[in-house]
Amino acid sequence: MKVTVKSFANIRDILGSAELALDVDAGTTIGGLFAFLTRRYGAAFDRQIRDQMSGEIVPFLVMINETVYRTTTDLGVSLAEGDAVTVMIPFDGG
Amino acid sequence: MLRSDFRYKGYAGKLLRVNLTAGTFRDEPLSNGLAEGYIGGAGMAARMLYDEVKPGIDPLSPENKAIFLTGPLVGTMIPTANRIGLYAKSPMTNSFFHSSAGGHFGPELKFAGYDGIIFEGKSPQPVYLFIDDGHIELRPAAHLWGMDTNRVQLALFEELGSEEIHIAAIGPAGEKLVRFACVICGCRALGRGGLGAVLGSKQLKAVAVRGQGAVEVPDMPRMKVFLDDVFARFNANPATAEILPRYGTPVLVNANNSLGLFGYKNWQDEFYTEAEGLSGDTMRKKIVKRDKSCFACPARCSKFSINGPGPYEGVRNEGPEYEDIFSLGSMCGHNDIEVVSAAERLCDDLGVDAIESGVAIAFAMECHERGLLTLKDTDGIDLRFGRADLIIPVIEKIANREGALGGLLAEGVKRASEKIGNGSERFAMHGKGLTYAGHSARGMPGFALGYATGPRGGSHHDGRPTGERSGLVPRETTEGKGEYTARINHLMILTDSMILCHLTENIWGPLDITDLVVRSLNVATGMNVTLDEARIAAERMWNIIRAFGVREGYRREHDRLPPRFMEEPIKTGPSKGMAISRQMLDDMLDQYYEFRGWDKQTGIPTAERLKALGLEDVARDMEKYR
Repeated sequence: MKVTVKSFANIRDILGSAELALDVDAGTTIGGLFAFLTRRYGAAFDRQIRDQMSGEIVPFLVMINETVYRTTTDLGVSLAEGDAVTVMIPFDGG
Repeated sequence: MLRSDFRYKGYAGKLLRVNLTAGTFRDEPLSNGLAEGYIGGAGMAARMLYDEVKPGIDPLSPENKAIFLTGPLVGTMIPTANRIGLYAKSPMTNSFFHSSAGGHFGPELKFAGYDGIIFEGKSPQPVYLFIDDGHIELRPAAHLWGMDTNRVQLALFEELGSEEIHIAAIGPAGEKLVRFACVICGCRALGRGGLGAVLGSKQLKAVAVRGQGAVEVPDMPRMKVFLDDVFARFNANPATAEILPRYGTPVLVNANNSLGLFGYKNWQDEFYTEAEGLSGDTMRKKIVKRDKSCFACPARCSKFSINGPGPYEGVRNEGPEYEDIFSLGSMCGHNDIEVVSAAERLCDDLGVDAIESGVAIAFAMECHERGLLTLKDTDGIDLRFGRADLIIPVIEKIANREGALGGLLAEGVKRASEKIGNGSERFAMHGKGLTYAGHSARGMPGFALGYATGPRGGSHHDGRPTGERSGLVPRETTEGKGEYTARINHLMILTDSMILCHLTENIWGPLDITDLVVRSLNVATGMNVTLDEARIAAERMWNIIRAFGVREGYRREHDRLPPRFMEEPIKTGPSKGMAISRQMLDDMLDQYYEFRGWDKQTGIPTAERLKALGLEDVARDMEKYR
């Protein structure tokens, strides 16, 4: 199925575009999308979302269309054909 | 020289007390009790100002005191322990205020042998203080009066014959008692609360410091093991290893705007369709030239920038930071990052808080568009959202108190709205007199409670947005947010006392005081504090700050949000419809006071809780206000 990944900052740099059209397996979850992107872009992508000491994906938000999900609880949420997935970035401070 | 007989390492062991009225100064030993009970920085200053500043005094009178303080970690190699704090009764909030800045001034003060400096009274003429290791001088500053903060630093380098000196200085705004005047240290700001006006009221233009000493730690091998652990965490975490170093705080423009949590046009909305022009991505492409670090920090989040061709070509700036982009850009309805950078540099040079300046301009734009400020009131300026060309001229007016508009806005949004009247108070976006920073109240209930109960009102460093913005806790609910906010308060005040930077809170927190924070305190000082003891100390600090506010008249009814956040839901974007109703806020306030052991009717800490925190004297004081 086709989905679009929207991104900014470091993740946009790695994906090479603010919006990237992808063809992923039907039933792919948020966590599955991250695994897909890690396979395609390697450690450079992994370092943006995963603590390299604990091996865990760090807490941040992901939007599917305009609904907000949390990496702490929602990695198993499935994507649907045509979804736009905005990958927020793990960030401190401000 | 460091005081060798002080019980704990990490500290210099002494303070410098300067009487500006008499032009005298003396060393004062730091007491073990003050260090044990209040650590340093904000906590220690709160205790000192509670004891030394009488309730009800004018913050801009000689009766106020201004205290510069470091903390016991500052000057060690512990990452982010580089901050200097400035503390006084604020002319914005009329209560205890603390503002801190990174860079190098804090460590330099420790290297010169002092944990802090207490300024009292008022000098009969402009002066600056020079600390050169153990040598202290109060020097005339008439020749520096009127200079901007950049020029005064360059002038002092020349006068003192070295650039190896760190300087904190006020600009023309501080001299003219603009209520939100700030203090600039190098290129970093002690930005909020109008503490530059407090220094201006004392005719203190600058503090220059050079130190060649060292900060001792109790056990260097133990410190090295600890540092290896902390640096490994910094290098492993995406925020500190990847994102802060490349984009700094401006990454938040797209992050917050994508969620629909980015203040726009004086918070009339929180989603800006043209925000990309202000984003960290745009800023990095257009103007960032290199990354910079504060002392002992691997995050390199500061960005040095130079504007390209255009009306502000060639302007050099350390920044802008996210908050500047919010206030001087989105809040004023434009997306020109080079205007923001030039405006922020001007705020630093003239010595005004960039957040307060941008929000004041946005407020004036809304007043003018609604017909509440006429062209006569604005000195003929057609103040409208989107007019990026007006930002810099209006900042100049504010900082110099020039004309009707400059004089009005130099008092801050709260006092300006009280003067304008006609319902403008409804969109004067401040808490306890301080304008809100660039983080949504409507979209994050726990953070909204942090704003409402925060002793500094509009500060984003009493409560924090991080837990709800990162999804560590759900942002849709008010359930549990009383305890959530109180625990974050304690993390903030403890780290503000040590002093650690909040920008790396995912390492140090971010939801509560952690074992890592306590280990850092112990490894620097040898105190051997437990996690429970650290939490009690933080709660003690928070309560004495609350008690300071109670003495100044603050009660539950002041723990509020402006009508716009409660009655006007976010209009567009992914957070459309979100607001914090009065009922939601009241429910969270009840939770918060109950967790804290504060009286739910008044918001005054109970005698029982104060005594449990070792604040028997404060408990007795509070009886007068019940």
